[in-house]
Amino acid sequence: MNIAEFFFLLVLLLSVAGAVISALAPAQWTGRILAICGTSAATALLIAAAIILAGHESIRVDLWRLPVRGMLRLRVDSVSAFFMLALGISFLPAYWFSDGYMRRYLAHYDPRSFNIFFHLLLAACALVLAAGDVISFLLAWRIMSGLATFPITLEHRQDENRRASYLFLAMNEAGIIISTVGLLWMVALAGGHTGFNALHGSLRHISPAARWAIFLIVFFGFSVKAGLIPLSSWLPQAHPVAPANMSAIMSGCLLNFGIYGIVRFDAIILPPISAGPGLVVLVVGALSALIGILYATIDNDMKKMLAHSSIENLGIIAANVGMGMVFTAYHLPVLAAIAYVVAMYHMINHSAYKTLLFIAAGAIDQQTGTRDMNQLGGLLKRMPMLAALFLVGALAIAALPPLNGFVSEWLTLQTILRSEEFTSHFSRVVFALCGAGLALTAALAVTCFVKAFAMSFLGPAHSEKASRALEPAKSARISMAILALACILLGIGPTWVIPTINRAMKPLAANLAANALVPPFFSHPHGNKDFSPGFMHDFAHIGAGIGRNIIPARGLVVLHQGGKSNPVVYAMSTFYMVGVLALIIFTTWLFVRWGTRRRTITISEPWAGGLRRLAPDMTYSATGFSNPVRVIFRSIFGPAIREDSSTAVAGHFRTAISKQRDDGYIVDRLFLRPLTATVNYAAKLLAKIHKPGMVNAYAAWVLAVLLVILVINRLL
Amino acid sequence: MFGWFLRGAGSRVKTTRYPPEFDSNVGISPGRPIATQFASSQEADNAAVQCPTQAITAHDNMADINVSRCVHCMACSHGEAAMKWQNDYDWATLSGAGASTTTRPFKKSLHIRLVDSGSCDAVIQEIKQLAKPYYNMHKLGFFITPTPRHADVLMVAGPVTSHMRLALKKTYDAMPGPKWVLAVGNCAISGCVFAPSFMAAGTVSSVIPVDVQVPGCPPPPLAILHGLLVLTGRAQEAPPHVTTTIAEVPL
Repeated sequence: MNIAEFFFLLVLLLSVAGAVISALAPAQWTGRILAICGTSAATALLIAAAIILAGHESIRVDLWRLPVRGMLRLRVDSVSAFFMLALGISFLPAYWFSDGYMRRYLAHYDPRSFNIFFHLLLAACALVLAAGDVISFLLAWRIMSGLATFPITLEHRQDENRRASYLFLAMNEAGIIISTVGLLWMVALAGGHTGFNALHGSLRHISPAARWAIFLIVFFGFSVKAGLIPLSSWLPQAHPVAPANMSAIMSGCLLNFGIYGIVRFDAIILPPISAGPGLVVLVVGALSALIGILYATIDNDMKKMLAHSSIENLGIIAANVGMGMVFTAYHLPVLAAIAYVVAMYHMINHSAYKTLLFIAAGAIDQQTGTRDMNQLGGLLKRMPMLAALFLVGALAIAALPPLNGFVSEWLTLQTILRSEEFTSHFSRVVFALCGAGLALTAALAVTCFVKAFAMSFLGPAHSEKASRALEPAKSARISMAILALACILLGIGPTWVIPTINRAMKPLAANLAANALVPPFFSHPHGNKDFSPGFMHDFAHIGAGIGRNIIPARGLVVLHQGGKSNPVVYAMSTFYMVGVLALIIFTTWLFVRWGTRRRTITISEPWAGGLRRLAPDMTYSATGFSNPVRVIFRSIFGPAIREDSSTAVAGHFRTAISKQRDDGYIVDRLFLRPLTATVNYAAKLLAKIHKPGMVNAYAAWVLAVLLVILVINRLL
Repeated sequence: MFGWFLRGAGSRVKTTRYPPEFDSNVGISPGRPIATQFASSQEADNAAVQCPTQAITAHDNMADINVSRCVHCMACSHGEAAMKWQNDYDWATLSGAGASTTTRPFKKSLHIRLVDSGSCDAVIQEIKQLAKPYYNMHKLGFFITPTPRHADVLMVAGPVTSHMRLALKKTYDAMPGPKWVLAVGNCAISGCVFAPSFMAAGTVSSVIPVDVQVPGCPPPPLAILHGLLVLTGRAQEAPPHVTTTIAEVPL
């Protein structure tokens, strides 16, 4: 047993130990147990992942041989290890946050069962990533998906929660069944090999039709887990109702498993040979991103907004994966490598900031008793620390430099622009449209999080509780601070992060992305084989060499070179940007101080049009802020406006009319509802066929089915 | 399609040339009476008696006029005891002690917040004319702004009703300094026929300090423009022989 295996075993043992202790200990200890056992398990996972990523060791364990077929293997390669890193980044703060957070449930619920499942979830997640063959992958996936259902229903006395968890269970089960079919078909085509490496080797020569079919089945099966449209309708319902630590896990890492499945099976094991599959993934990703952010912008429930925003971010990741697949199919390995690396970069960014924001939303919920942004406001003065941390997360997710979201979104859009290298016009048009969609998404993301921050933290308090809110417990602040630090580090250090991710994604990216994106300005001052000396010299001339011999990196500039027809170099450096930003802010501050040195400051009450008293309800509301988006994209939201004048007097004089606008979910409207209607219709037809209660008829039908099966079996 | 454009280009400049040049008697304002010397004290008394708002007072054979009570009813414009009539519109005056004109930076660029403190809207209608092409106050550097935070001058019309009293005070408090106040119309200056009463304070100066007064009921746009020019120090205030008294006279 090597060190990585030891730490991996430690993860499993600590998770199980946590579960056992939670079952035995009194309910008041719930949060503390999660904080101690869970955090140490997550730390062990991070260490194991780091050891494997450093390239020293890997996990190769054969568990036992199945009686029917194949061997259950644990194989952690660098790709799995990278996903484990994202897992740890999300789990560690979420467990730590639980310490203060679980107290709120003690009065009404017994959180011990929640605790057991929440502990075991980490072990199950780690096992999914460690699985080295299809059978153990499916087993672990099954366990993970099942375990994830229970923590959602902690507040099981509320109808909404029960309904959401049933929806979660149903849709994820459907996803598992679909992907199981796909994976077993793969195994069948590969002649019974179940190991991932063996599958990759023996699936090389299958027919294009089978490739397409397997791709579609596997992709849509896993896209349920990733929350991509059109299978995303469980996500905005299940994420808000779960306790905040569970929501953070669901958004921050469970969604990544969908991406893991797609990357593992559709990109690594069965790499695309035509552009079609990649384009499907790209389009689904871009649409998910756009629809996700549109709904996030108009939603006033903070956790629901974050859930919709998760759809958006997973869409961006999927779009990058799709681009990677298209580039692979067109034999552009450098661009493919870049796209996959950017996808993983965005994934780990999303894990960091979404966990942070969900924890913040949970802390706000705990302190104020509401998640409705229309009821919040003025929290900046009440909880400045939380506001600062939330702001870091919001800026990161809105892709503003120098935070991490900016780097990956910038690279995404730059990569999309490289579609000019294709010969196929169709692919170019698809890329252009998806690029426009992703650009709109980026713009709307800013709107969405300006709204989230401004309406919750600025202005007057809109409710009694919000005006009396206090800073959350220390555990919440510490866990958010860890994540905010991760956001900042991932943001200012892309020149360290990109080579690391590239190393992790070796099966897909060789070493191409790091060489292309992060030129060695520090180590080779006069050029290397990828860049001409003149080019390197020019960049060094404008300051790309600042920090040489001091900072241990290849350079601090991220480059994106245009292709042959568009020989432009796009360069970006968040590290230098931080310096310049600090300088600009400092000098501006100095100038302002100097310019206003003789000014006296008068503080007067806010201008409210001369009204006697400014009621909080009169100020700008979250609904009002997002209303332009609601109006412009009306056709997507398809609002159902309900008018109620039940307060009418004597049926003639309406004293008050209340209007309520419910924005329907487009996926439900266009996909899920027609589907369920069709299934219901078919079921009704079938119900008509058999007469209720007639045993003879049942027996006749069973006989008929048996006959049909026998005939089919004979013919095949 | 471009007919409106050609028509506009073809017509010559319509805007008044008032600030440097003299302009008289446009619009519907009939102008106002000025203090008049009569042959006998009897005639002066007759002149005072015919005024329905008691704006005219007689001293010997002199009929004096309190312009802040005149409603331009023209009862004194004809007949045996007719008053003399003023033909220009330079009506504005500084409001006595404490009044100040704007400092230099505001001379060519002044932002105005308008508060209707319960006026009959006649004054507001006249102020609206200022923004139209004929008077074109923007060319002189005067701008209406919707928020007091951006305003340098508070322009008040109306007799300050009890409902608007707090709003007026709050608006004034919301303005950053340095700030000035322009009381437009007789209601704002003296309350005229409305105040003081149970529902109106009567004068703007009882709520906030006033710098320039523009009498008239309503004052025509040129008079309001004159008020702004007086405030910015770009025009002389009304000559004393015209305006003998602008005072708060209880009804």
